[in-house]
Amino acid sequence: MTLAACAALLIGIFAYVFYVPRAAEEQHQKTRLEFLRERKDVVYENLRDLNFEYSAGKYLEEEYLAQRALLENEAAEMLAEMETLESMKDTDSTIA
Amino acid sequence: MPTFGSFALLLALVLCAYNLIAGAIALRQMAVGRGAQYAPERLAETARRAGIASFIAVTAAAFALVWCSFTNDFSVAYILHHSNRALPGAYKFSALWSGQEGSLLLWAWLLAAYGFVLRARHKVDVKLTAYASTILAGIQVFFVLLLNFAAPPFALVQGAVPTDGFGLNPLLQYPEMVIHPPMLYLGYVGFSVPFAFALGALMMRYPGEKWIHITRRWTMVTWLFLTCGIFLGAHWAYSVLGWGGYWGWDPVENASLMPWLTGTAFLHSVMMQEKRGMMKTWNVWLIFTTFLLTLLGTDLTRSGLVSSVHAFAQSSIGDWFHAFMFLVLAVCLYTYFRQRDHLQVEHHLESLVSRESSFLFNNLVLLAACFTILWGTLFPIISEYVQGSKVTVGAPFYNRVALPIGLFLLFLTGIGPVLAWRSTSLKSIRRNFILPTIVGLVTAIVLMILGIHPWQDQGTFYSLVAFSLAAMVTTAIFSEFLRGARVIQRHTGKNIVASMLQLTHRNTRRYGGYIVHLGVVIILIGIAGAAFNQSKEQEMGYHDTMTLGPYRLVCQSYTQDSNANYDSEYALLDVYKGNQFIGRMAPERRFYHASEQTSTMVANHSTLERDLYVVYEGRSQETDKPIIKVFINPLVAWIWIGVMVIVFGTLVALTPNLEAAMVARRGGHSPGVIAADSKASHAAGGGQG
Repeated sequence: MTLAACAALLIGIFAYVFYVPRAAEEQHQKTRLEFLRERKDVVYENLRDLNFEYSAGKYLEEEYLAQRALLENEAAEMLAEMETLESMKDTDSTIA
Repeated sequence: MPTFGSFALLLALVLCAYNLIAGAIALRQMAVGRGAQYAPERLAETARRAGIASFIAVTAAAFALVWCSFTNDFSVAYILHHSNRALPGAYKFSALWSGQEGSLLLWAWLLAAYGFVLRARHKVDVKLTAYASTILAGIQVFFVLLLNFAAPPFALVQGAVPTDGFGLNPLLQYPEMVIHPPMLYLGYVGFSVPFAFALGALMMRYPGEKWIHITRRWTMVTWLFLTCGIFLGAHWAYSVLGWGGYWGWDPVENASLMPWLTGTAFLHSVMMQEKRGMMKTWNVWLIFTTFLLTLLGTDLTRSGLVSSVHAFAQSSIGDWFHAFMFLVLAVCLYTYFRQRDHLQVEHHLESLVSRESSFLFNNLVLLAACFTILWGTLFPIISEYVQGSKVTVGAPFYNRVALPIGLFLLFLTGIGPVLAWRSTSLKSIRRNFILPTIVGLVTAIVLMILGIHPWQDQGTFYSLVAFSLAAMVTTAIFSEFLRGARVIQRHTGKNIVASMLQLTHRNTRRYGGYIVHLGVVIILIGIAGAAFNQSKEQEMGYHDTMTLGPYRLVCQSYTQDSNANYDSEYALLDVYKGNQFIGRMAPERRFYHASEQTSTMVANHSTLERDLYVVYEGRSQETDKPIIKVFINPLVAWIWIGVMVIVFGTLVALTPNLEAAMVARRGGHSPGVIAADSKASHAAGGGQG
């Protein structure tokens, strides 16, 4: 009985581990563009938080405007780089 | 069944080793861009599957041990030493983690379970998960190696098999002990996952902070388990050890608190990395340290390195743990020095008065507390090494340091959320702090009028400060909720309660966090009550009376009882408050047959105001009357309520954000950020104005 249980466990696990479908999941290297998209989401979230907290009366107007300008500049730089990278990608695919 | 269990453990070792080696080879091949002839992706997939299968193998081993316990298989030495026929079913189950080998098996099983979830959800980021899975497999190899060679749970008894076991330690025969160790271990083991992701992200030079996003829930769940485990342990100590307290700064208690402190620091400081790309090196080392401290905690609990009330399992596995901790530290250091240029920060601290600096102070204070506790815990070992004699550090040392640190943390809990990111002006501070400060000061004045005089003694002083700070922080938290709710109210026209609910749902992480802070405040109020503890000990025969505080206890009878598992002695005490009958209490002392050990069952009448905590200390040798010790412990119930609030707050923080879902539905844009989009389009030269 014990031997049968051990054998069943071994065979079941062996089959599961080594019977891998042909198309295994590809390990993809994150690109700069993907990284920038993530960062953009974070900066947008920071902007949303800032707007909300200003509406809640937590910031003085001058603090709010200064912080908003900083975050918008950060987002703008990021979007500019993203547009450049996207246009380069489009050019690459057209040439190909 | 023991043979099957041993086989399953051996199989688990092979699978974990395969995951580690094959996974590492595949990652290496993919990193250097070779291996087209044998598809490293397929090798990596077999490694992942081996990791998943290791969960099945370890589960089979754990099942085998539980089976042996329930079938009273005393041929297995572990079952012989930790169970007996008369042991109730729930404790037979908990025998799994009552000794050295079983608790290591629980560690390995929980690690395999976490690994199973991580590997099953590999599509969140296949490459990063492959790194994390391989690192986790390395940790699994260590624990399964221990189980196969250093502490085998299925070792057989030599010679004739006894007909009954030696029983479970009586201290462990308490309902909370069925859930306290698994909770604590879920917390300890869970930190392996963010550790594996952090190390993996550093090894592969993962761009961005998404690894934090992936591990955020893991870290929060793990932190919640550790919190529950610590407080269940405190409640167990309060109910079973019978010394009237819940925290004795025992080395093993300290061992669980240290990773909690660094884990709490990590939970706060990763927000700075996520939001502003700051403190990357700090965060990586915080999680490395947290993981190392969980190993140290397990080592202290299991190796008997320091003497403790938790000396349920002592052995020589300490050397294995020390070697592993050294290896982990070496790998962390090597990876850090090789890849440290990857941890360049995107922003620096701009002002000492900002949300960032409050997080930084919070981190420094938590680390100072952790270092103090580490120093006190290891001091007996250090003193023995230096002087040749063990010098133990007692509760006064910890209290002297921990109380001011705790109060400063409480203060930071109040001010952090009302400070702005980047920098806060003095005018803004005045506007946001005026109400909490007034409430704090008024509380202090009212309490002094009511008789809490800070000049009486140090304990009263700390209590007064704690109550005032608690009032200040609570006001700050509620004004945060109110401020936000009013904005929602203006836009939706909903009432203030509905607006608060929507506000919380809109940003569950932040407002769930505030609820957690409120829980911490409630706990600290409960702890501050300890300054007013009272106790009295007296022999109590028939109709003898004892008075303490507002309570009068009258002994109605004292007697003995017996069942298959233990004999017991108890007293029946009628309790009156003034002339009002409160109830009957029955403090008890048990003598367990199998282990021939005694244990205390405390009788506790708990209210929000105070606990009436009664201990049956035994019989007087001269008069044969029971010796009864009574404690009045003010505000203890607040501690357990605070824990429940923390659990609720963490669950709220774990709930998905309403706003994130709405923004996703709108296509990733929110009205507040359109300006940035248009500005960016201008910057890119393609804007529409």
